[in-house]
Amino acid sequence: MSARVAPARITALLCENSAWKAYLDVAGAPELAGIDVVRLPCSGKTETGLVLRMLEAGSRGVLVVGCPKENCEYVRGSDRADRRVASARAALAEAGVRADRVRMEFVSSVESHRLLAVARDFAASLDKEATT
Amino acid sequence: MITATRKPFAEIAALLEPFDRVLVLGCGTCVTVCMAGGEKEVGILASTLRLADREKGRKREVLEATIERQCDREFFDVVREKIEAADAVLSMACGVGAQFAGEVFPDAMVLPGLDTKFYGTTLEQGVWSERCSGCGTCVIADFGGVCPVTRCSKSLLNGPCGGSADGKCEVDPKTIDCGWQLIYDRMTRLGIADRLEKVQPLKDWSTGHHGGPGKIVREDAKL
Repeated sequence: MSARVAPARITALLCENSAWKAYLDVAGAPELAGIDVVRLPCSGKTETGLVLRMLEAGSRGVLVVGCPKENCEYVRGSDRADRRVASARAALAEAGVRADRVRMEFVSSVESHRLLAVARDFAASLDKEATT
Repeated sequence: MITATRKPFAEIAALLEPFDRVLVLGCGTCVTVCMAGGEKEVGILASTLRLADREKGRKREVLEATIERQCDREFFDVVREKIEAADAVLSMACGVGAQFAGEVFPDAMVLPGLDTKFYGTTLEQGVWSERCSGCGTCVIADFGGVCPVTRCSKSLLNGPCGGSADGKCEVDPKTIDCGWQLIYDRMTRLGIADRLEKVQPLKDWSTGHHGGPGKIVREDAKL
């Protein structure tokens, strides 16, 4: 648990049918060093309130990664997650907090390279936020 | 159920601005079903308030709780201490619960977090539709089980009016079905459309809100 102290880390919620499998192939990559990964049975399990609580608890940002929408294991899970992330972003905007601290992405199980790129880009966007 | 929607965040933030210890109090019945004021919605709002406070550097305590119902006295017992310790209670119940919370705790500053809408039903997840106006004298038996008071925008008991076209109401043809089209279709389906030839007498509106605040007393049920 000592690795979870400051500086604040990113929380990634990964669908076990897609992004989680992609993650297993690159789990030790440096791009993922500052990320706490949570495995979900479906990205549609993402709850707006849970995302907000993660930020309250100290996450720099929350990255939700589900199956590509047209290939979602549970058909509508990714769409549901996308709308809940939008809802969380709307709440952040109302709170005067930058909405891009929460992001939805779609990655298939064979797109480990894309998962790394997404993680790298999200971390960079948060770093940029912190310095502006 | 009684349906409601959450007030805009800016309005809630303004209501709570003077208070440093706030309890967001949810209701576990109707407004949970219509996804406006249940435990999840309380959590989202409370988190949003705390994140907003943190962003502004404001030190404020935002607590949260949800009880089974806010329209019955006994359910408040489990949150009595939290309510009494709060500077303000933001009730996420309907207008009934929000008012009753203030009656149970006369010294508490109870503020509404929701805008109460209507008595309605769930058409599908995320879609609710009005069915009853609580007029106090149900007339749907004469209209094939469809309420003209509520489903007709003009509450006509001898309809339809001239504003019905293609089964839609002129008040908003995109979203509102003509109540009288619904009545005619249903009565035709039930084989009782001939009953529409009966002219409905004037309705006594005093049995609803027009007669003042309602009250039911059941002597046989009182303790």
